[in-house]
Amino acid sequence: MKKFWNRIAGTALLPALSFLLAFVISGLFIALSDAKVLKEASHPLKFMTTALSTVGNAYLALFQGSIFDPNLAHGHTVWQGFYPLSETIVTATPLILTGLAVALAFQSGLFNIGAQGQFIFGAIGASYVGFHFHFSPVLHVFLALGAAIALSALYGGFVGLLKARTGAHEVIVTIMLNYIAGFFILWILKTTTFLRPRRIDPIAPEVNPSAQLPHLAGANFRLHAGILIALLAAYFVWWLLNRTTIGFQFRAVGANAAAAKTAGISVSRVTIATMALCGALAGLGGGVHVLGSEHALTADIGGSFGFDAITVALLGRAKPTGTVLAALLFGALRTGGRTMQSNTTTPLDIVLVIQALIVLFIAAPTLVRFIFRVKNLKTKDAMTAKGWNG
Amino acid sequence: MKKTIKFVTLFAALSLVTGVVAAPASQAAKIKACIVLDTGGVDDHSFNAGAWAGAQASTALADVSYLPSSSSADFAPNIKKFLDQKCAIIIGVGFSISGEIVKAAKANPTTKFAVVDDAGLDCNADYSVCNPVANVKGLTFSTDQAAFQAGYLAAGYSKTGTVATYGGAPYPTVTIFMDGYAKGVAYYNSVKKKNVKVLGWDPVKKTGTFVGDFSNTAKASQLSQGFEQQGADVIMPVAGGLGAATAKQSQTSGKSVTIWVDTDGFYSAPQYASVLLTTVAKGLGNAVKSVITDTATRRFTGASYVGTLKNNGVSISPLHNFSSKVPAALQAEVKRIGGQIASGSLKI
Repeated sequence: MKKFWNRIAGTALLPALSFLLAFVISGLFIALSDAKVLKEASHPLKFMTTALSTVGNAYLALFQGSIFDPNLAHGHTVWQGFYPLSETIVTATPLILTGLAVALAFQSGLFNIGAQGQFIFGAIGASYVGFHFHFSPVLHVFLALGAAIALSALYGGFVGLLKARTGAHEVIVTIMLNYIAGFFILWILKTTTFLRPRRIDPIAPEVNPSAQLPHLAGANFRLHAGILIALLAAYFVWWLLNRTTIGFQFRAVGANAAAAKTAGISVSRVTIATMALCGALAGLGGGVHVLGSEHALTADIGGSFGFDAITVALLGRAKPTGTVLAALLFGALRTGGRTMQSNTTTPLDIVLVIQALIVLFIAAPTLVRFIFRVKNLKTKDAMTAKGWNG
Repeated sequence: MKKTIKFVTLFAALSLVTGVVAAPASQAAKIKACIVLDTGGVDDHSFNAGAWAGAQASTALADVSYLPSSSSADFAPNIKKFLDQKCAIIIGVGFSISGEIVKAAKANPTTKFAVVDDAGLDCNADYSVCNPVANVKGLTFSTDQAAFQAGYLAAGYSKTGTVATYGGAPYPTVTIFMDGYAKGVAYYNSVKKKNVKVLGWDPVKKTGTFVGDFSNTAKASQLSQGFEQQGADVIMPVAGGLGAATAKQSQTSGKSVTIWVDTDGFYSAPQYASVLLTTVAKGLGNAVKSVITDTATRRFTGASYVGTLKNNGVSISPLHNFSSKVPAALQAEVKRIGGQIASGSLKI
């Protein structure tokens, strides 16, 4: 039992402390950017209580907006109060998948910044199959997601191929491919195939109902089957890495490419396979986003899912479970931020500050160790890419 | 170590507790007016800012709040959030939010809705049939009427005989400015038997020059420079914040003047006042304010609002620094044209 707790403490303590610090510092920002608080600057006591209540209200709204809102439970059945939680999950679903796409790359020593582009291509594939064809419901979903996976696996695998054959660094290549994907979707939404009839703004037709992911909790909740797909994908990545030979090769190359090569592992094949898989994961995220909650392709369909994924994977320490939890946290912050802004007028942007601070502290364990005077804070398995020459 | 952790938890706990206690009591008399912004943010100096300014001007009658949208995926949850908060009126900014507003309006017939820059109609899948929705008010603007005046003014002011315009993206709310502008120039030509050229928009083919988005400053300056090289000495950018790039180009080169759009640039972008010939102003804030007022006084109807020269929903701003540089005769003609359009005797 004690060993178990040590293990939990070892992996979860750093994120937990970083989380706490981020909230305390963001609390300062909330208090000091509030006009009501600043008005009391000359009365130290009043200043403190106003500041504390402002920050408290903001964080209370953050909780209400992301987990449980008692105001919504009134009149209806109690479980209606969990509507915010369902929204958190909807927001987190694509993030889990893009987060996995970055985490898996970290595990084999690659830095996949291209989740954004891969996500967009997945969304394009799913959208096209979704609105252009008519199939029976279950089959249609699978075919649309299959198209998303295929298209984005090619897009990701291309990066692996370039790296394996020519040595082009995946960071540069994926960044550039993000631009290509961003402009490609702008262009494709101008073509008659993709542009919704009688519209001139970039939006594709809605996907057919047969291709939409089923709702899990009734029509009033946006919660859809995408979360199950995301969790399955997380399990798959865990299984792949820990229970298969290919996964072992991935990790071996990630730990030391030269040693892996000496041991007879084909590094170039691993690179291509990893990037193709990462592309597939991110693309699946795009597909799930379109078929689950958006139902139509727009020019800004990618949002910042691919970029937030890097943060999510870092926060989740490149582990599947960690990535799922980190994505849920980010989903909660984003969803809750909405309530925070509308209830307390604390700007939604504070959420970005919290996110950034969490990552900052995760990336600087020595700082956290110093602030909290924790000696045995485990930082060894923090996974990052192997630098620019990797 | 323990002490630090304890202090931090204490702080967190305390703030939560005081937060619960100090929750502000809601005011009963005012209505709740809620704005869902388009991407671009509340500080875009353009239509988001304009809509929010209109809401803030109604604080005597309403408690106003807004939610920003970082992408179109935020529209639906933002509207839902405001529905949960029992807003009396929910106003969506920008025509891309229109679909979600209409969807929400049909599901919540007792809540009032409005859309800025779109008629807010309920259309079928291929947009062949569109019907009005009783609890949605569309706020649109015939900016082409004021842009027509601006085009006439530009043609009369131009010394090179070439004027230009460009847009951020080919959205109907953008091209309507360019269309009016080009037609204003054409009208000047037919009245004065002149041949002033318009670069950047062809009102017949409905094609023109666009940046591609509303944020690429480099491309906007490049386009402005290109127009100057082709001899244009009046440029009207219809691209939100990008107008600043053109005004800056006018300032540095001294070869052109800029026509601003949306809100009078003399006040909203005073650093460029020296090169701003005029502004094709869109009374976005007033429209938002009047919808909120109507809701508060229980006079809300779903009948769409169209801002025109006649109801002052659109207008051409005073010439400010240029009032001495533009011939009085031309100024009078521009004013007379405005009157003719408003009265309907001049059709665009």
